[in-house]
Amino acid sequence: MFSNKTTEQIKLETRPSSVGAKSFYNNPKYRGWIYQSLLLVFLVSFFYTIVSNTLDNMAAQGIKSGFSFLNTSAGFDVLMSLLPFETTDSYLKIFSIGILNTILVSVVGIIFATILGFIFGVAYFSRNYLIRKISIIYVEIFRNIPVILQVIFWYTVFNSLPIARESFNIGDSIFLNVTGLYIPQLVGDSGSGLVYGAIVAAIIGVFSIKRWATKRQEVTGEQFPILWTSLALLIGLPLLALIVSGVPFHFDYPALKGFNFRGGTTIIPEFISLAVALSIYTGAFIAEAVRAGIQSVPEGQTEAARSIGMKESKIMSLIIVPQAMRVITPMLNSEYQSLVKNTTIATAIGYPELFTVFAGSALNQVGQAVEIMFMTLAIYFAINMTISFVMNHLNKRTELTTR
Amino acid sequence: MQAKEFKPLPDLPAPLSTTGPIAWLKKNLFSSAFNITVTITITAALFAIIPGVLDWLFFSANWSGTTQADCVKDGACWVFIQAWSQQIFYGSYPGDEIWRVNLSLFLLACVIALSFILPAHLRNKVAVPAYLLLPFICLLFLDGSNIGLKPVSTDLWGGFSLNVLLAAASIIIAFPFGFLWALGRQSHMPFARSVSVTCIEFFRGTPILALFFMGSVMLPLFFPADVSVDKLLRVWIILILFMSAYMAEVFRSGFQAIPQGQYEAADSIGLGYWQKTLLIVFPQVIKIAMPNILATFVMVFKNTVFLLVIAVPEMLQVIMSALSNSNWLGGHAIEGYLFVGFIFWVCCFSMSLLASSIEKKLDTSHKN
Repeated sequence: MFSNKTTEQIKLETRPSSVGAKSFYNNPKYRGWIYQSLLLVFLVSFFYTIVSNTLDNMAAQGIKSGFSFLNTSAGFDVLMSLLPFETTDSYLKIFSIGILNTILVSVVGIIFATILGFIFGVAYFSRNYLIRKISIIYVEIFRNIPVILQVIFWYTVFNSLPIARESFNIGDSIFLNVTGLYIPQLVGDSGSGLVYGAIVAAIIGVFSIKRWATKRQEVTGEQFPILWTSLALLIGLPLLALIVSGVPFHFDYPALKGFNFRGGTTIIPEFISLAVALSIYTGAFIAEAVRAGIQSVPEGQTEAARSIGMKESKIMSLIIVPQAMRVITPMLNSEYQSLVKNTTIATAIGYPELFTVFAGSALNQVGQAVEIMFMTLAIYFAINMTISFVMNHLNKRTELTTR
Repeated sequence: MQAKEFKPLPDLPAPLSTTGPIAWLKKNLFSSAFNITVTITITAALFAIIPGVLDWLFFSANWSGTTQADCVKDGACWVFIQAWSQQIFYGSYPGDEIWRVNLSLFLLACVIALSFILPAHLRNKVAVPAYLLLPFICLLFLDGSNIGLKPVSTDLWGGFSLNVLLAAASIIIAFPFGFLWALGRQSHMPFARSVSVTCIEFFRGTPILALFFMGSVMLPLFFPADVSVDKLLRVWIILILFMSAYMAEVFRSGFQAIPQGQYEAADSIGLGYWQKTLLIVFPQVIKIAMPNILATFVMVFKNTVFLLVIAVPEMLQVIMSALSNSNWLGGHAIEGYLFVGFIFWVCCFSMSLLASSIEKKLDTSHKN
């Protein structure tokens, strides 16, 4: 009685037959092929025109093609580098320095944006009227102002700080002035390996205790004070190692020599401005995501938790947040990705991340736009794919299990 | 025996401890020791900060004058904004021709108003062509060379009006492209689908700044050597492609929200593919996707500021070049940036309010 025909086929058969109704161009299958081959022809001719034009233009302007420029010496300095760098180093070195700087500012930005976002997102549900209002004001102000303006604003604020001689001074070890933030650097002497080893061992220990405790609770229902044991492990073990090995560390303090500070670690103003702006901007979006996530959990969940006698402090962490994470995680994924994409605004203030040093300075000198843009974009895609992979993995764990 | 008539006693007022301002204060500000501390700390901080800020912004600010010398009080120097206001809003567009920019903005406002006041049966037939024609009409007026007005080179266009018009023109043209890509993404033709997916993912995954950069360094290479394409036109192309990718995703979520029955109903009365898409699906998608379309517009509007990196004289770029003007070297950066931030905040915030009010109006689902 019921045929296996598709709607389109039935339509063809039941329509009042016009002359061409059964001809091949009215068959959706053939028509699909015709459309697609037209699209293919268009794309091929489009790309052919582009490629031939580009080759012609490059030949006319004397731009070489290929990746051989990567091994030539760059001849310009970068403001900040995680690798040892000299001006004679190659463009490939510039490329890797750019990638590292991008990753550094992205990671710092993601960490602080997440902290800010969760604090202000949860603050929206505070019992205190002022805290609620502050959360709303934060989100609505920083979400609606272009991030590039925020970066330039913080950079301007930073540039109006006092000079080195009059810098803000915290306990003679942390200094803040117009040239940057100077903090003491922890230097490990011989024997510090033992302490690092103790830290790693403590982390592994915490994870295995947590696993064992969960298993025991599932079997016997007995709870184990995980938080206190973990804290004891994390603090105690490295402390023990420190004492045993005779404190093999010392701080390298920054000190004013001549016109500026020497020693310690310097954080350049460009980095701080960019990290602050990105964290605050993305934090506003994350706060909004967290708010939406918590609101998506029905009120009945809280009431049910109370009715079985759960402590108020445990309801948020055991009932509300795990369910809210289902909504929050996919949004976090896209916010993190847009943060990474937004690191490119560093160009406006000159922080040497990938886009500024490679697609900016290097491209200016070499002129091989196609290769350089291709390499730059490939890195952004790779970073975003990694974030997407990790977040999807997290999402799988928080997803609702349906039967 | 006569039944006693029942006379209710007058209602007692609600106990003071649950209603009224005191109860509200108690519940919202002083409910626990922690809350009391927080309330006091925040109030103290506000009292410490706000008077100084208000004083700088308004009371001891300089409001009138024409040159930097008029900024004598130690508050903000709003004279700076006043003196540069024409450039901030219109760029270097010739003073006598500014009515053309205003006309374009007015037309934009008219078309938006049109789509709200037209009766439903005319809305799609009149408003959609009006929207699609608008960028080109504005272009004719702003450029002027084709309709007998004084030609104005695109180098002179700028300021806040450029931000607005560029964002609007991009999202309008991105509408059909985005719709096409979204249709392609859910089509049954494998090749068309993969082309759409590639386009969408490429333009969504690339930083907008990198796209602008490609527009200024790579796009000229793509054209034949004897064709020189205007810089603003290249920026427009880039913005359209970027927006199309985001709009495609907005439309896709719109498609998914439409019940399958709508498609089947359209099939059952014998509508063809394009009839089904344009008469049944499109009007519903627009309605459902409206909050997201507005959010996308807010995004692209904020992103037009990124154009300062490739030296397009949009609003912030104008402020920055005004700051380096030799007559205004007094360091008015904070005033300038606050002003730009304020203007953008007002626009974006009102649009997000509009979006959430539309969302509330459309929300008929019964949660929980």
